[in-house]
Amino acid sequence: MTKAHVNKLDNQHLSALLDGEQSLTDEVIAQQDAATLGRYALIGDVMRAESEDAFVFDISDSVAKALESEPVYADFTQKESQTAAIAATGTDNVVAFNWRKPVAQLAIAASVAMFAIVGIQTLPQGENSPNNEIPMLQTTPVTGMASPVSYSSEPALQNAEQGLRELQQQRIGALVLEHQRQARVAYSLEKAHTEAQAEEEKN
Amino acid sequence: MKVITFILSLVLMAPAFANDENPAKQLLLKMADAVHNRNFDASFVVVKGKSMEPYRWLHAKQGNTELEHLSLLNGAGLEMVRIDSQVTYFEPQSEPYSIDTDSIAGPIPEVLFKDIERLSQHYDFVLGGKGRIAGRAAQLVRIESKDEYKFNYWLWLDAESSLLLKSAYVNQAGEMLEQLQLTHISVTEEPAALLLEMLNREFPTPLPAAATSQSEANTSSNNWQIGWLPSGFSLLKSDRHKLDLNNELTDYYLYSDGFVEVSIFVQRPLPGRRPSGALSSGATTVYVHNSGSFDVSVVGNIPATTAKAIAESVARPL
Repeated sequence: MTKAHVNKLDNQHLSALLDGEQSLTDEVIAQQDAATLGRYALIGDVMRAESEDAFVFDISDSVAKALESEPVYADFTQKESQTAAIAATGTDNVVAFNWRKPVAQLAIAASVAMFAIVGIQTLPQGENSPNNEIPMLQTTPVTGMASPVSYSSEPALQNAEQGLRELQQQRIGALVLEHQRQARVAYSLEKAHTEAQAEEEKN
Repeated sequence: MKVITFILSLVLMAPAFANDENPAKQLLLKMADAVHNRNFDASFVVVKGKSMEPYRWLHAKQGNTELEHLSLLNGAGLEMVRIDSQVTYFEPQSEPYSIDTDSIAGPIPEVLFKDIERLSQHYDFVLGGKGRIAGRAAQLVRIESKDEYKFNYWLWLDAESSLLLKSAYVNQAGEMLEQLQLTHISVTEEPAALLLEMLNREFPTPLPAAATSQSEANTSSNNWQIGWLPSGFSLLKSDRHKLDLNNELTDYYLYSDGFVEVSIFVQRPLPGRRPSGALSSGATTVYVHNSGSFDVSVVGNIPATTAKAIAESVARPL
């Protein structure tokens, strides 16, 4: 394995860690330098559209800052006065609705979100499920369950396999999202459908 | 033996006068009425296998106008707003848009708040036991599929107010696949200020009614032969379009039996040898069928066996 290859794998680790897909171990943290961690945190924030004004450029910095100002969180009176101030401005008391939020996120954010769903879907179903004869796809390879090809020492072959898997994952994500969207018009379509049928029967 | 014959005859006679006297149906109608006419603020969670989605659900009736807001609280979020017969969806990955429809397509099947009568051809409504849900006395109502190709849906309704407390997709083995549970509900006299604020907001104008365009679309584009679907499903729409996320072209079919929707996608096959198989999350199944020269994918809240049978029944046009 080349050096570059090793690094890439490490970063996958780190990315998974930030996305909450992997548990936090001292070992993993220790392996990474702070800059990479900060960058990944930022990417994650942007993808999830969580950083509207405050971009977190370096997570270690903000953690340190947060720790410094920790008492604020326990100071309930201050918090109350803040919310009261917001409420007083009138229009801002609808913060629960975020329709004023800019909707300029990257399309990739959605595919990432779907990716997560796919990951959950691939978890093996109960052993006694009646659908046992149905093959369950494993889109995110779990250690020890990946196909033998993945163990190939040939990087090219491995990459191709990986690319294909990603392609299929993307497609499944896209299909699920499309189904959700189409289902929204289903009810009104169906109503129009039955009404039209009733009309016909009348005539 | 006599007892069995007696019970059998009861069962056989039941459908004859089920229409007016089915208490389960009456309860569901009462729930629909309560959901449409009360001012409430509720929170619920949807548990799908190992994942969980929390929602907040507000509803108000201001004069003759219904206001409703449903919001997914985790992750990038999803906001659904209804003012009478216009629903607007705010999604993180696209511009907000509105649809001319009088119910929100959320995690609760819309038909339950509407005319459940039309489900009775393919589903039975059965009264279940009583229990305690979310700290309230609850009555179980079971919507049971008449064949084994669909899931059953169980609802627990508040014995007092008839509002929904819990619901679940249940498979034929009686296992709950996807559960929805209210964690809190408060019914108020006055509509919530948040909802009244909606009246002062501008929303996108609804897309032109999809209903009008569907008949032409049916004939123009695709003519794949879909050999089998469980009885009761009818075609709502079919077209050819590009998927939002990966820009792939697909022939698309949307079917519904009034309760659940099924999407069928026919696409150019992906390269490489890929096995056919199913994925599931809660009640939602995705079945990907590699049929050689084309790929068929079926998505919907149906059992994997049904999705498989549908996908495999799709054939090339003659």
